[in-house]
Amino acid sequence: MKKECIAMLLAGGQGSRLYVLTSNVAKPAVPFGGKYRIIDFPLSNCTNAGIDTVGVLTQYKPLELNSYIGSGQPWDLDRSNGGVHILPPYMVEGDKGSWYKGTANAIYQNIGFVDMYDPEYVVILSGDHIYKMNYMKMVKAHKAAGAACTISVLEVPWDEASRFGIMNVDSEDNIVEFQEKPKEPKSNLASMGIYVFTWKKLRQYLIDDENNPDSSNDFGKNIIPAMLSAGEKLIAYRFEGYWKDVGTLESLWDANMDMLSRGDLDLLESDWPIYARIPNQPPAFMGKNAKVEHTVATQGCQVYGEAFNSVLSDSVTIEEGAQVRYSVLMPGVCVKKGAKVEYAIVGEGVQIGENAKVGGDPMEVDPDKWGISVLGPGAVIADGETVAPKTMLNRNHEEVSR
Amino acid sequence: MKGLHGLIFAYGKHLGLRELTERRSPASVPFGGRYRLIDFALSNMVNAGIDDVGVVLQGNYQSLLDHVGSGKDWDLSRKHGGLRLLPPFAVTQHRDDSAFRGKMEALAGVESYLEKIRQDHVVLADSDTVINIPLQEVYEAHLKSGADITAVCTRTLGEPDESATYFQVDGEGRITSTVFDVKEPEGLQGLNLFILSKELLMKLVAECKRTGHYSFRSAVLQGMADQLKLNAFVWDGYAAQIRTLADYYGRSMEMLDPEIRKNLFPRERPIYTKELNVASTYLDPDGGCINSLVADGCTIEGTVENSILFRGVSVAKGAVVKNCILMQNVTVGEDAELDAVIADKNVRITDGCTLVASPKYPMALAKNAEI
Repeated sequence: MKKECIAMLLAGGQGSRLYVLTSNVAKPAVPFGGKYRIIDFPLSNCTNAGIDTVGVLTQYKPLELNSYIGSGQPWDLDRSNGGVHILPPYMVEGDKGSWYKGTANAIYQNIGFVDMYDPEYVVILSGDHIYKMNYMKMVKAHKAAGAACTISVLEVPWDEASRFGIMNVDSEDNIVEFQEKPKEPKSNLASMGIYVFTWKKLRQYLIDDENNPDSSNDFGKNIIPAMLSAGEKLIAYRFEGYWKDVGTLESLWDANMDMLSRGDLDLLESDWPIYARIPNQPPAFMGKNAKVEHTVATQGCQVYGEAFNSVLSDSVTIEEGAQVRYSVLMPGVCVKKGAKVEYAIVGEGVQIGENAKVGGDPMEVDPDKWGISVLGPGAVIADGETVAPKTMLNRNHEEVSR
Repeated sequence: MKGLHGLIFAYGKHLGLRELTERRSPASVPFGGRYRLIDFALSNMVNAGIDDVGVVLQGNYQSLLDHVGSGKDWDLSRKHGGLRLLPPFAVTQHRDDSAFRGKMEALAGVESYLEKIRQDHVVLADSDTVINIPLQEVYEAHLKSGADITAVCTRTLGEPDESATYFQVDGEGRITSTVFDVKEPEGLQGLNLFILSKELLMKLVAECKRTGHYSFRSAVLQGMADQLKLNAFVWDGYAAQIRTLADYYGRSMEMLDPEIRKNLFPRERPIYTKELNVASTYLDPDGGCINSLVADGCTIEGTVENSILFRGVSVAKGAVVKNCILMQNVTVGEDAELDAVIADKNVRITDGCTLVASPKYPMALAKNAEI
């Protein structure tokens, strides 16, 4: 059945810069903000924008992500016509077929899937950004301009511009040049990794790119430059609002803290809901001596101790006398009596023993030695144990360096 | 086929619930911070592997329809079977006071549905009971005992309740007498939860229709006691029946007890409910929240103590909420003071408003009220 527009969500990356948090799950399945996983943001954006057909390209450790997406029901993407589809790499005749070699190759291998819906436009998304965005507004701009490709951009501070892929544009926001992490940026418009393509055009560029043995089959490195040099019309779509790439431990922690301050990223606002698959747990319980400030708490939580400036996901327990500050606690974490957790990301199901100490306050630690402490999902911290700031432990309690 | 079919009676009136049932049947009265009463019966059935559930409705059921929808939140939206909502489509006689007088009359009203039940056994449940019980154990006990009807009962007699049914049981668990409408009850208190075969159920419905009887407990449990083998299944876990505002308030406040919550919400048998998409609850540094249950989507900038907050409640700066039950989307304005108030959905408490009642006689505010 023909669709005007479908979305393809690149969710196959390992997310190696999240280290222990992605040792067993794909990055888009990493929990965020108490109730969510990263992939809830692009999926909810699709549904809210009216895009009802989404291909999710998976490759790295997909089991948890696949079962999380399931039929797509939480995002209203369980459709008989369209809906959400998991697209892993597959074999073809003669023992051929390969892993997804790059972002463009992943879409190339699924040309057949896209063709089933015969869309005019394809939105390419990635599974590692936190933001609320109406993609159809961008498609509208793409249509109005008659572009072959529209790239969503964000104005970033000039001194940070050299960390991004920068779009240089003319007075009408036509993209004239693309520079990956330029030393001397000519513009401060950073690519958000969100593209709208006219499918007929993209289809041909993907085939040509695949036939080029020197290509690394990547949108940013190959497809966009090829389109620019061929003189296609590429336009920049200026996005205003909160957007964050949560591909690193620091940015994941930052984004959680941003959410707490309820500035640009207010998830309690109901005009653009973010949907999630939610385990059924009773409401959060605050005990008689609980002290909870500037913190979010989720169903299934039990707080008998103290929590400040923290994100408590579902089924987190903080026992009496325990203290949690400036930390992100993922689902099922238990902080036992008298333990102290500061400036940490604590993975799913971690047990922190009585009077243990995890992380430290930057004001009290030598700046060179300070950093966010990270405990991988399932790690067990013994009673009285100390995990220093900036330390990262995996599920087997082995230290991992970054 | 072998197995259980679920039937839930969701037609009661319970005038004792006053404001809470003005615009809804007792089955959809909100409970425990994020549930509706019917969620317990539905979840018990789903957790026991029951695939087909019929809900017998009558009157004031729009809120209930909104809540259960297609049944997808309980995994009951199926191609075959699943959830069936049963308004009284087969009632032939019209009476002015059209409320069902008893279970047998309600069942006669859906007789054609009963005929099509695929399973060989049926569990009958009321929708006003707060309980998390492994029904497959009751089913196994029923099969093992060879009883015609198994009735689930509790030993822990609450306040004497004239509307409850009480059973005397012999050493083998067989029910020897059934009484109700008594001032000083003895024996086991029935939880209005029964298992019997489909075949027997059909026979009883036909028989009662013929003789004009409408009450399950008087016509069947008492009237046919000599022809049927009636057994009791004693449930020692938590159970509460919600029929009056006092029941509602008292039983709700019990949810603040961690032991009771543990019993009612075990991890292996979750209570499912309609999912709302709201973010986690935010607790502001200016506020405080102790000994309270707080559902998702709340914003707490004031002080909350010994209270139950449903999803999406907001408590503004300087407000003090004590011993209260605030349902979905209630807003409490700045510097307001509430004690022992049950505020139904969407109630708005304006800035500076003071409402103080006592936990013995809580004050109930009807849905959508602005105070």
